[in-house]
Amino acid sequence: MRNFILFVRRFFNLILFLGLEIICIVLIARTNMLQGNDIMSSANALSGIMYQKQNDVVTYFGLRRMNDSLINENARLRLSLARYHSVDTIKDSLVHRAIKQDDSAHVVQYNDYTYRTAKVINNSVSSGNNYITINRGSDDGIAKNMAVISSTGVVGRVVHVSAHFASVLSVLSVKQQLSAKLKDGTFSYITWEGDSPDVMVLKDIPQQIKIRMNDSVFTTNYSFFPADILIGTVFKMKVNTKNNLRLLYLHPSTNFRNIQYVYVVENKMMGERTRLEDSVKKGK
Amino acid sequence: MNIYIKNFFKFCLIVLLQVLILNKITLRWWAQPGGFPVFTPFVYPLFILLLPFETTVPVLLILGFITGITIDIFMNTAGMHAFATVLIAYLRTNVLNALLPKNLSEYPNQSPSVKNIGWMPFLVYSGFLILLHHATFFTLELWSLNNVGYLLLKIGASAVTSMLFIITYLLLFTRQSASRL
Repeated sequence: MRNFILFVRRFFNLILFLGLEIICIVLIARTNMLQGNDIMSSANALSGIMYQKQNDVVTYFGLRRMNDSLINENARLRLSLARYHSVDTIKDSLVHRAIKQDDSAHVVQYNDYTYRTAKVINNSVSSGNNYITINRGSDDGIAKNMAVISSTGVVGRVVHVSAHFASVLSVLSVKQQLSAKLKDGTFSYITWEGDSPDVMVLKDIPQQIKIRMNDSVFTTNYSFFPADILIGTVFKMKVNTKNNLRLLYLHPSTNFRNIQYVYVVENKMMGERTRLEDSVKKGK
Repeated sequence: MNIYIKNFFKFCLIVLLQVLILNKITLRWWAQPGGFPVFTPFVYPLFILLLPFETTVPVLLILGFITGITIDIFMNTAGMHAFATVLIAYLRTNVLNALLPKNLSEYPNQSPSVKNIGWMPFLVYSGFLILLHHATFFTLELWSLNNVGYLLLKIGASAVTSMLFIITYLLLFTRQSASRL
């Protein structure tokens, strides 16, 4: 026992050093699990309030840009609303009309999803996994794994929630992949390589699919995102020599550098769907 | 002013500087795919570098851990900054001993600064520890050796930029009188 105490006293610095480093490693490892702890994120009350205060000051400088984007979005929404005003219901009911994939997507969208607005109070684009903090939390009905979109396209997924704040893992993250499709319905997945916030990669598209520059890429129903949300536009193509499939480089449609307002999308059917899918997995 | 209160204010100042200002600056020089990395300068390790000479290693380690965790909470990195900061806090005493001609106990009530150890030794001391900190942090963050060139570029570029910010901080906050805690 005496020797042990002497040993501890002699190597106290080293033991403390190793102990602290082990705590750090445990913390790092824990965040990579799905149920990360909410205290250790910018969604907690203290850092949330500080970011809120800072944002109150900074937000004035972006008002002009924000107005522009809101006007553009209004115009787009009015346009899509106008399509529904002009539907001739009598004619529609008489003429037999095949239901297209597009139609069903719209119907599902209007029934299943609730949109909540939130303000971005902290944001980053420079790390390997970028997080956004928003000023809405569980009190406003935000829960983990809800999709987050902006007026221009996809943003990310809610990962930590506190009472008044939530942090969102943006799609600029090397941790997650995102299901995506081209205009003709060919679906694959999108990753981010961790370098530039202006470049994402759509992988494994067969070469026979015709693609032009500036083609749009959308979300699919297979992920937690609602379908047909714009992800980005193609600006470069490359053939992967290993498997002869194509890589498409996209410019994301959301500008992650100056994002200010987002919509948190709640999919009301998501709980049921996950339960069903999980039960299938368990049954195997 | 009491040395503890003084260092507490210094801690708050440096953390706020890092979180509210520097984290918002994302330096990016070329945005081509596979081009120059995007990075943020980190100056918060300066708090550990500027603690008084007499600070013992356990205190350094615990302060390093607290600093790192604080930054981690703000940046959602959970432990990565803390890991790197604890590492430099552990090595600080050894580096100082190797660089300085006198024993550390011969600098009573002083902190390492340009005034009392000179520009060159201070730049070597801070440069080495900052580079080590950045290397550890970015390796942990990227967690792959697929793209070593990119990793090295990111470490080098952000270490140089952090040093520029640190020199600016020193020029701004070094008092002209010789006695400084």
